Amino acid sequence: MIPALARFVEALRREGIDASPAETVDAARAVEHVGPENRERFRDALRLSLVKRREGLALFERVFDSFFAPPERGHRDRKGERSTTGAGMRSAGRAESGRAVEAPVRPRPAPGARPRRPAEKHALPVARPPDIERSPGAPTRRIGRLREAALAPHGAPSEVSRAGGAAERPEHRDLTRPLPSSEERALAEAVPGLVDELRLRASRRARRARRGRIWARRAFRDNLSRGGVPFVLPRRATRLRRSRVVLLVDVSFSAAGATGFFLWMASAFLALGRRTRVIAFVDRPVDVTSAVDAWIRGRPEPRVMRSAASARVPGAGIRPAGVGFDALLASVTHLNLAAPSDYGRTFHALLRSRMRPAGRDTVLVVLGDARTNRFEPLAWSLDEITRRCRFVVWLVPEPRARWGTGDSALPEYLPFIDTVVEARDLSGLARGLETLLRRV
Amino acid sequence: MAHDGVTPERIEEWFDHNGFVCTGQVSTSLYLAEVLSKPVLLEGPPGVGKTEIAKLWARFHAAELVRLQCYEGLDESRALYEWSYGKQMLYAQLLREKVGELLSGAGDLGSAMTMLRGQADGFFSEDFLLARPLLRAITSREPVVLLVDEVDRSDEEFEAFLLEVLSDYQVSIPEVGTLRAVSTPRVILTSNDTRDLSDALRRRCFFLYIDYPSFEDELRIVEKRVPGASASLAERIVRFAQSVRRAELRKAPGIAEVVDWALALVAVGAESLDRGTLERTLGALLKNREDFETVLADISRHR
Repeated sequence: MIPALARFVEALRREGIDASPAETVDAARAVEHVGPENRERFRDALRLSLVKRREGLALFERVFDSFFAPPERGHRDRKGERSTTGAGMRSAGRAESGRAVEAPVRPRPAPGARPRRPAEKHALPVARPPDIERSPGAPTRRIGRLREAALAPHGAPSEVSRAGGAAERPEHRDLTRPLPSSEERALAEAVPGLVDELRLRASRRARRARRGRIWARRAFRDNLSRGGVPFVLPRRATRLRRSRVVLLVDVSFSAAGATGFFLWMASAFLALGRRTRVIAFVDRPVDVTSAVDAWIRGRPEPRVMRSAASARVPGAGIRPAGVGFDALLASVTHLNLAAPSDYGRTFHALLRSRMRPAGRDTVLVVLGDARTNRFEPLAWSLDEITRRCRFVVWLVPEPRARWGTGDSALPEYLPFIDTVVEARDLSGLARGLETLLRRV
Repeated sequence: MAHDGVTPERIEEWFDHNGFVCTGQVSTSLYLAEVLSKPVLLEGPPGVGKTEIAKLWARFHAAELVRLQCYEGLDESRALYEWSYGKQMLYAQLLREKVGELLSGAGDLGSAMTMLRGQADGFFSEDFLLARPLLRAITSREPVVLLVDEVDRSDEEFEAFLLEVLSDYQVSIPEVGTLRAVSTPRVILTSNDTRDLSDALRRRCFFLYIDYPSFEDELRIVEKRVPGASASLAERIVRFAQSVRRAELRKAPGIAEVVDWALALVAVGAESLDRGTLERTLGALLKNREDFETVLADISRHR
């Protein structure tokens, strides 16, 4: 029993369920108690001890079914009795020698094909709530803090024209439309410089504090009116706020380039992990924190990075450590890059999932053009999400003049946003990042 | 821990007899938790019966249910113990004269301090300790069922602390010393899946995800809990509820709400789910005005 169990755990690990040795011991003890006679109890005992996350449940079922063959397919043992798990042992033996387990467990996409959508594609109904104005008294609690200019769709702010004039400089190169990978590569060369600049600016910024070191330069300035006599002694401190950050990024065709560059820059300042989550979406949110972290560090997880880049995804030139952003996106299961982007459904699904920002000290960053393909914007979902956040920044990879035009639902989302940043080029993204860093 | 005679089948039977439709997964998890003395982590959307399982588990063992309701900002003093300052002050006031007498023999300040040091520890003894749920569960002579409800609402710091308590079933109180569990409590943790719990906590527990029940299971629940509902009405109720759950709502109805709604429908003598009946009774199923309007606007889809 024990060797078969160990091989089963190994098969689970190969598929991404990281059961620890302690959990394997638990599983062995559990199996001892329920015995192998009742297949369902045996399955329950293994599941309870080895799978500790909801996401792993479906995968477990598939591995279990292919590893422990059902009794119908089992061989009769010497005494002529059917043995549920006896068949499993033999199946396990096959698994060890080759591909018997791996092949049916997770079907790999054919070369060049899109990642297969799992069954939950049909789990959500296609019909949407009929009324577009879900929350009649849509609160405008954040609108006061929002720059009014953000709402003017036809304005022609100076930044736009400036960016147009300086199109030669890489940081002002327009990211609105996906670029060929050669141009992306050229732009990528500007990223380290921008990061350094941001780092310098961040280090210069000191915070005034009640306690801390005496801030001499500020003391001179504050006491000028008193003839330089130091009545007021300001203090400064490098205050480390431990905010949580949630980066909710659109990776649809139109926004993937900007997202790739932004994640690259942001990762220089934020340690991706429990406190900083990256959630990518096209029509539903998918937590990609660990995949992005591996992509940035150049330590691609074999499981995550195994599928090849899909030709239609931009980002091949965005390679912080040897792997293109397109390859990263193409390898994330559940991310349907071919779907039309749907912000309403994304926000709603996020609200209902445990990925949603929780805790009073969360800073939410949304990167996307809010072009929701005429789907229901479900702005109330964003409202509910942002109520749990301390600060919300939205980076729009589009010229300000186009905000709110066509199928853009940005005006409906704006009441719930603290700051909107026009991030149509690298310098815009850097500006957005700086806004974020000031708040974390 | 005595677990003689406890089998998954017996658990299922007993739960069933007490009005709870118990799946094989639930009974196996409770059975294994019992025989291996490990906590169970029940995760799932609100209203699927996680807390109910803990309550029934306590009744099954005829044990006390000690409940720790988690919330953001919950700390050790609320979960473990607190010193009863009021009682300490009262005793200090009442014993003032006695202390005066005691110290009258002391010649100087140093000897008075020495004498006092020997006595003052009495104020920091178990008599002045206010036991909160965790301490109560640990120090109880009879094994209790400890329900740590909605652990996802607590902070990460508290989760780490909980981990420490659950791994050794012992608590260190600086003034008193280490208190070890007299009898290991049966621990059930529930989570609504609103926050990702740490791997460390998950590893220490048996994990069971409880989703909304299937049509057949929910029908059994409604038939069991609402005996007044006719078979056709019960079927319609469950079909409607299952359809409503698939819609994009703020709060999908849990089993408890479905049962409440079925009771409401029986109370008003409804036999079919026409618009008028729905308008009158849907408040028992949906707890949000927007959801109410969304469902009413598209009744035919759910019926």
